[in-house]
Amino acid sequence: MSNVLNWQLGRDMEYPYDAAYPDQQFAFVFNINRCIGCQTCTMACKSTWTFSKGQEYMWWNNVETKPYGGYPHHWDVKTLDLLEQANPGGQNWGGKPEEVKAPYGKFNGQTVFEAAKTFIGPQGANRALGYLPADDEWSAPNRYEDHPVGNEKGAKGAYFKGGELLPEHKTWFFYLARICNHCSYPACLAACPRNAIYKRPEDGIVLVDQERCRGYRKCMEACPYKKTYYRGTTRTTEKCIGCFPRVEGKDQAGQGLPMQTRCMASCIGHIRLQGLVGLNADGTWKEDRQNPLYYLIHVAKVALPIYPQFGTEPNGYYIPPRWVSRPYLRQMFGPGVDAAIERYTAPDRELLAVLQLFGKDQRICHRYEIKEGPKVFETEVRGKKFVLYNDTIIGYAKDGTKIIETTVEEPLHLRPDKHANSI
Amino acid sequence: MELRYDEDFVEAAAFLCTSGRRKGVSSLQIARFHRERERLYAIPDADERNTAFFRLHLEWFREWGLEDVLADLVKEFPLLRKKLDVLAVRQTRGKNDEGVELYVNEAGRRSAIIALSPGAFERDGSLKDYLRHELTHLSDMLDPAFGYLPELDLPGLNPAQQRLARERYRLLWDITIDGRLSAAGHTPMASREQHEAAFSRGYSFWPEARKADTFANLWRNTAPRHAEFLVLIVDPRGLRDAHQPAPGASCPLCGFPTFAWVAAGALPPDLVPTIATQHPGWTTEQGLCGRCLETYEALAGAASTSGRRAG
Repeated sequence: MSNVLNWQLGRDMEYPYDAAYPDQQFAFVFNINRCIGCQTCTMACKSTWTFSKGQEYMWWNNVETKPYGGYPHHWDVKTLDLLEQANPGGQNWGGKPEEVKAPYGKFNGQTVFEAAKTFIGPQGANRALGYLPADDEWSAPNRYEDHPVGNEKGAKGAYFKGGELLPEHKTWFFYLARICNHCSYPACLAACPRNAIYKRPEDGIVLVDQERCRGYRKCMEACPYKKTYYRGTTRTTEKCIGCFPRVEGKDQAGQGLPMQTRCMASCIGHIRLQGLVGLNADGTWKEDRQNPLYYLIHVAKVALPIYPQFGTEPNGYYIPPRWVSRPYLRQMFGPGVDAAIERYTAPDRELLAVLQLFGKDQRICHRYEIKEGPKVFETEVRGKKFVLYNDTIIGYAKDGTKIIETTVEEPLHLRPDKHANSI
Repeated sequence: MELRYDEDFVEAAAFLCTSGRRKGVSSLQIARFHRERERLYAIPDADERNTAFFRLHLEWFREWGLEDVLADLVKEFPLLRKKLDVLAVRQTRGKNDEGVELYVNEAGRRSAIIALSPGAFERDGSLKDYLRHELTHLSDMLDPAFGYLPELDLPGLNPAQQRLARERYRLLWDITIDGRLSAAGHTPMASREQHEAAFSRGYSFWPEARKADTFANLWRNTAPRHAEFLVLIVDPRGLRDAHQPAPGASCPLCGFPTFAWVAAGALPPDLVPTIATQHPGWTTEQGLCGRCLETYEALAGAASTSGRRAG
């Protein structure tokens, strides 16, 4: 085991391989507050990559209803439970947040790599703690769709009085869209006995070498997010490939510019923003103030990694849903939740402008700038002053091409009279 | 009788052994298994490759003693070995899919399929209990003395009543199976108390003494018969010949069983001629259910409204 820095945990941790980082890292932010669970992303992925025989149960992208839903069933609760068994009562956070190297404080518990030593199999200790889901857990990818949870028993035929009021709804659920997190310390890669899984040095996308894979399914057991899938027809494992031809700029629609993945580009709720971020020698993010992902994660801190305590340093970040029970969100996104929701509930001028970049263009936005506009109105949101300015945000591609120019206020288009009834 | 396996099943069972979830599998064996398996990926033809994988997985399925678990159980049922040509094991698609099915082809050759979760090999004890219970079902089906018929003969029952009758059949059969297994010193799938509680729920309308007697007879019945079950499931309330309102009897108008009979004095006299016109032979003594009364009241109301409109 080597010692590597996991900045999401604010400390060094054990990992089976030495640290090695790509030039740039594929990363994304999903704004859960906007997701309507329409599954357009799911079908965009399915129809692009997993429509063949043997891939019937593969959903590289899925949207599940939390808290009960999950694909495979209860994937997160099962791994959390294994960690709790390995380190009873010790899975908690502490310490003071520090910029870049410890933005959420310090995780005092054990990661899937550290806890693996407590589970000894016939071939010795596993490299990552996990479990192999049974076949029936892979059935019904959208089980428990729209099932809410309530914190008190309701009366028949009556709504909770004030149940819809924030900060937390009394009855709640939310949609969690998931793809492979292309982790910085992938558990699938760590567990593979054939070294068939690798991280691309150019963008950090995690891939399975189909020539090397021999279907041991150790990756499926190890990945805490359960995002690798066994294909019975080829007897190999397959997983999300981050639509790498698009990220490389090889999709003709992008005219040579790096494009966002199919699931990101198809999102009709504009909840997704995918990009590439630069890394320092120790794996922390290079300061890049005008990169929208850097801004959302390290400056505004409204987007948080999913289950950072697993220790894989996932590159999928989420703006947590405002209406959901805070202890639940703290378990899922770590201790940064309360501050993130507070900032998102009454966003400042810059954050509001950056949020307009989501879903505006299929090409990857590497840099943004804001042109200040007039003040539109001011009000108070949950005791905090909120001022709306109609600023213009401009997004640029890798080569400096302007790809987005949009205002905070949605533009109003008046249809000419002669086309009044046309669409 | 031949034991056959579905290829997904043996593959999943072999992988269960390599994952450490089954005791007694050595690391050397696991390494050998993977080495042998890795070579097969090089076979270019997909069909040949699949066949080779199946053979290898089956070899290891046998090497790790999984087939012995099944074969030893089958030995306890001489009737299966005598009357079945093939007993196939396939992978279950989920808990509700578990069970055993008997198939008879046109030539009269019998085969059976057991749907089993490969995960069951984690614990031989509970697997054997489960298999013993299911194989007793199968053995009963093949026993001429039991008199099993694939379709339950349930004349005069509507679909809802048929479903209830099938559930009661399953309940009674399970009681006799676990009663027999228990008497033979095996662990039943459910205890006598659990079965008795389920029986009591299924026949809640019987007096306590009758329930206790019937259950005790079922539990110690060493040679149950299909025909005995039929008597208990088809008309347990004894309503078939009751031509008067009784809880659970069918309404003479709509035919649905009802517990909401209209009280004798509550039927409006002006509705009687309308009902009698539509149901010749019906008398007020036969009664009607609350839903039918609502329907006829609504129809009468609609007729008087349209009469007023016409006037």
